[in-house]
Amino acid sequence: MLQVLAIGLISAGIYALFAVGIVLVYRGTKVLTFAGGEVGTAALYVAAFLVTDHGMPWVVGALAAVLIAAAAGLAFEAGLVRWSREADPVVTSILTVALSATIFATEFNLHGNNPTTLETPVRIGSGLDVDGVIVSPIQIAAIVVAALLGFGLQSFLRRTDFGLAILAAADDAPATLLVGVRVSRIRLVLWASSFGLAAVAALLVEPTVGFITPGYASTLYLGGLAAAVIGGLDSLPGAVVGATVLGLAQAFADKYFKGLGLSGLSYVVTLTLLLVVLLVRSYAPEIRKRLAAPVEVTA
Amino acid sequence: MTTLQLVEVTAGFGAVTVLHGIDLDVKDGEIAGVFGLNGAGKSVTMKTIAGIVPARSGQIWFDGVDITRLDAESRVEMGMGHVPQGRQVFANLTVEENLRLGAYTLRRRDKSRYPAVLDSVYDRFPVLRERRTQKAGTMSGGQQASLAVARALVNEPRLILVDEPSAGLSPKMQGDLREVLQVVKDSGVTMVLVEQNVAFGLSLVDTANLLQTGVVVHTAPVAELDEDTLATHLGIGRVLAGATGSALTARKKR
Repeated sequence: MLQVLAIGLISAGIYALFAVGIVLVYRGTKVLTFAGGEVGTAALYVAAFLVTDHGMPWVVGALAAVLIAAAAGLAFEAGLVRWSREADPVVTSILTVALSATIFATEFNLHGNNPTTLETPVRIGSGLDVDGVIVSPIQIAAIVVAALLGFGLQSFLRRTDFGLAILAAADDAPATLLVGVRVSRIRLVLWASSFGLAAVAALLVEPTVGFITPGYASTLYLGGLAAAVIGGLDSLPGAVVGATVLGLAQAFADKYFKGLGLSGLSYVVTLTLLLVVLLVRSYAPEIRKRLAAPVEVTA
Repeated sequence: MTTLQLVEVTAGFGAVTVLHGIDLDVKDGEIAGVFGLNGAGKSVTMKTIAGIVPARSGQIWFDGVDITRLDAESRVEMGMGHVPQGRQVFANLTVEENLRLGAYTLRRRDKSRYPAVLDSVYDRFPVLRERRTQKAGTMSGGQQASLAVARALVNEPRLILVDEPSAGLSPKMQGDLREVLQVVKDSGVTMVLVEQNVAFGLSLVDTANLLQTGVVVHTAPVAELDEDTLATHLGIGRVLAGATGSALTARKKR
């Protein structure tokens, strides 16, 4: 049991890191971003270029990767998102798909399908032994960082003026402008933070896999997207809870249904969970209404 | 002294010009009303003053500073406050969070003054103090209108732009709103009030600016307005002019 919990929480930490970035942008702009996975992968290539190819310390490479990812977020907002502001948020979401595909193609052109390695300070295989599962410090860090971000950012949004401005801009951007908030600046910060977070997530995930290929983080990012949706899409703590539910569900399914020999079991679990959550959410108001309605007694 | 002055301002959207050289003069402490039929350009006038719709030509002066090319946020920083059309409170934020956001530029200038300002706003609107932890979207229309006005006041503006405040409110709520705006008027804040409901507007304003197809065709203190002028310039017919005339009479008696 402990073993399954440990595996589930490791996955949860990874999904939560991506999910927090997704929810942050969604709360501020109502845009669902699909680019985080490839942004994270590209950030790893940047880190690998500096650390593996040029012998720089991992910290320097990681810092550069996060900063470049954040800068890419700024450029994406200023160069593309800003000009589609009048359009439906779905249009901007599709732009993020296009960005993801462009980054993937660029990675493929530059590196092909050859695995690239990034020397990290901590390797998998050493760390805390939980019922036979070795949980490395970087995996613990991923879980802790995800929880801190999920709950810390929520508090930041409610307690600071800038955080409130983010929430208000999502509610009603023109009215937010009229209280003197520079909404365009908020959007820049949101996109930069989201892309920066994707880089942080990818850096914390990389040692678990040990090598980088094009599209590497996108598979995990799908888990982050599912976690964000399970958590309600507009709640940062919800994203962490959603990631935990998803991570644990996958781990339990892997433990108890592995014998069935189903390929892609984790996808089946993810899609089933999504389906159940979306169904419950759409029918919940009706169910609540029916439960609250007085029962008619006929003689 | 003049707080706000528009000199031959033209503005519009795309190929359409809505304002064709508007002139407006708003003195310190007065409430200037802008009245007109649908499509006369009332809301565009407000949006142009606010900086949301750029002026194509002409000049806008605020407190002696040419703000024609300033963005909306900078105008708020200079002391312009807004009660937008449809009230537009932040429905998912609490009353207190709405007010904190309303004081966004005040808090950036001098955070220490905010508690005292907030207290004075709560004194003017006790219902908001009672409901400070309530989500704004769950309050009644009249309470939301109070919140929208309070949110503008909490930033200590020198000028408030109030856009169609009575729209969508019941007669009872309009009465409550009139009292709220009267509180603002008594505090000496200069105000520009745009209203489709002329009778409601005339019960509050000091000066009326009558707008027709993007041009101010008549400006006069309310005391000098009569039903004929309203009927002629607003094209509302004598029956309606009579209704607004009773508002005029009530004002003149005060």
